[in-house]
Amino acid sequence: MTFRISNSAFRILRAFWRINVAEELQYRANFVASVLGTVFYMVTALLTLSLFFRHTSQLGGWDYWEIVVLLGVFNALTGVIEAVLRPGIGGLVGEVRNGELDLVLVKPVDAQGFVSFRRLDIWRFSDVVLGLALAGYALYRLGRVPSLAQLAAFGLTLAAAAVVVYAIWVLLMSLAFWFVSVENIAVLFDALFEGARYPVSAYPGALRFLFVYLIPIAWTTTVPASALTGRLRPALAVVAAVVAALVFALARLAWRVALRRYSGASG
Amino acid sequence: MSWVQRYGALIRNAWLVDLQYRASIVLWLLWGVTEPAIALGIWWAIAGSGTVGGYARADFARYFFAVMLINQLTIAWDSWYLDRWIREGELNFRLARPLHPMHEAVADNIAYKARTASVILIVWLVAAVAWPAVRLPAPLGRLAVTALAVVLAAAMRFFISFTTGLLAFWTTRATAIMEAHAGVSLFLAGRIAPLALLPPAVASVAGVLWFRSMLAFPVDLLTGTVHGADAMLRGFAAQVVWLAFWALACRFAWTRGLRRYGAVGG
Repeated sequence: MTFRISNSAFRILRAFWRINVAEELQYRANFVASVLGTVFYMVTALLTLSLFFRHTSQLGGWDYWEIVVLLGVFNALTGVIEAVLRPGIGGLVGEVRNGELDLVLVKPVDAQGFVSFRRLDIWRFSDVVLGLALAGYALYRLGRVPSLAQLAAFGLTLAAAAVVVYAIWVLLMSLAFWFVSVENIAVLFDALFEGARYPVSAYPGALRFLFVYLIPIAWTTTVPASALTGRLRPALAVVAAVVAALVFALARLAWRVALRRYSGASG
Repeated sequence: MSWVQRYGALIRNAWLVDLQYRASIVLWLLWGVTEPAIALGIWWAIAGSGTVGGYARADFARYFFAVMLINQLTIAWDSWYLDRWIREGELNFRLARPLHPMHEAVADNIAYKARTASVILIVWLVAAVAWPAVRLPAPLGRLAVTALAVVLAAAMRFFISFTTGLLAFWTTRATAIMEAHAGVSLFLAGRIAPLALLPPAVASVAGVLWFRSMLAFPVDLLTGTVHGADAMLRGFAAQVVWLAFWALACRFAWTRGLRRYGAVGG
């Protein structure tokens, strides 16, 4: 179970991204549409939250602006998903079905790495910027300036969150090798990720257990947001990194097993 | 060929196509019920052992189960199909048939909803055995008026979706407009909370426009929160008026758009 990353892999990816960016720059109107869409989406989320807070002063022990910090993190991660994962590994189901994966497998690069990062929807990176800006504004409203240690913990847990999200995508997409006809398997991720909009402590016990231990989406938004607002015990940042490493290893294993099932277009 | 035979053939065809994609349909279904399920989880936490705006935990549970069922019965995806039909020219062979393409869309909706809503209904019935909070006393009279309101709401949402899809004759962002409408209806149609919990000014906007008629009114009928014959009649009157409005808008967009479509293709 090795993850070969040679220099040439990076060179290949760089070349792909260069073509990719040149292509996307032709459609600059998409940038405006993407930003407008994100702003609309964020306003909807904030209004929803305001509606809840008309009838309560806290949700799972979090007050309004603390959850806005979490929404900012949610939005930043959504940006990563839409910019990298959906255009890249999201295309796998179709390729397994029609055999186009053959073209990937014959390339002398690591197939998982290549499939995952071959294509970027660069405009959606604006979601990352807008999301972090929202989190920053909420922190300002809370009147809290994170210490250097807290910022470091945030950086670590956010990176861990990205890895967890990536691993869940790889695991789901690996299912495509068994269930070839399910073309919309990414919808399963969208449904799960909806749960990450609110702190896990707001949910009833059974759901909380599910989100922390079974489908670890609690680690994607609740934990990084807690690091920014100073709720997180430092030890938990390390645990987040360990969880990310475990889920990543599991996803890598699933990918290897799944790939063995693939028999090409003729199979 | 009578209309019964035509629709029989169209629905049978749509049913068999859906059967091919049953696994995908289950995933869409799952995705569709996530939003009300999460809203229920949050309101459940907020209500605690008390009430919020007259709603206790069990009331929220019944409300959002009704939302899951009735939203599935009334939702229409036609704007996404029409957008593709128009942009990629799949509309052409449909225009060549001796039958308005709208009938195919209606038949698709009937087949899809019969399949998916019955899944939700079964899940609800099973859940009700184990979970008293979602048990709903449903006298026959109430079920009958709810059924009527659901048919009107489904027809109206179909016309809204179809009309918005027809905007693809003029713009490439028809589906974005439909998504914006979905975003507004999150609040105004009662998907995220019963309208009684919205700020009064917002709730009255929802009642004046078509949003309450889309979902919240039939849901309130089913859960028994529409009190008095007067309130019921006004709700139905609003549904009929807005249904007529969207049907006319659809007809207008169809005739205008088709003229334009011919000009592009010719």
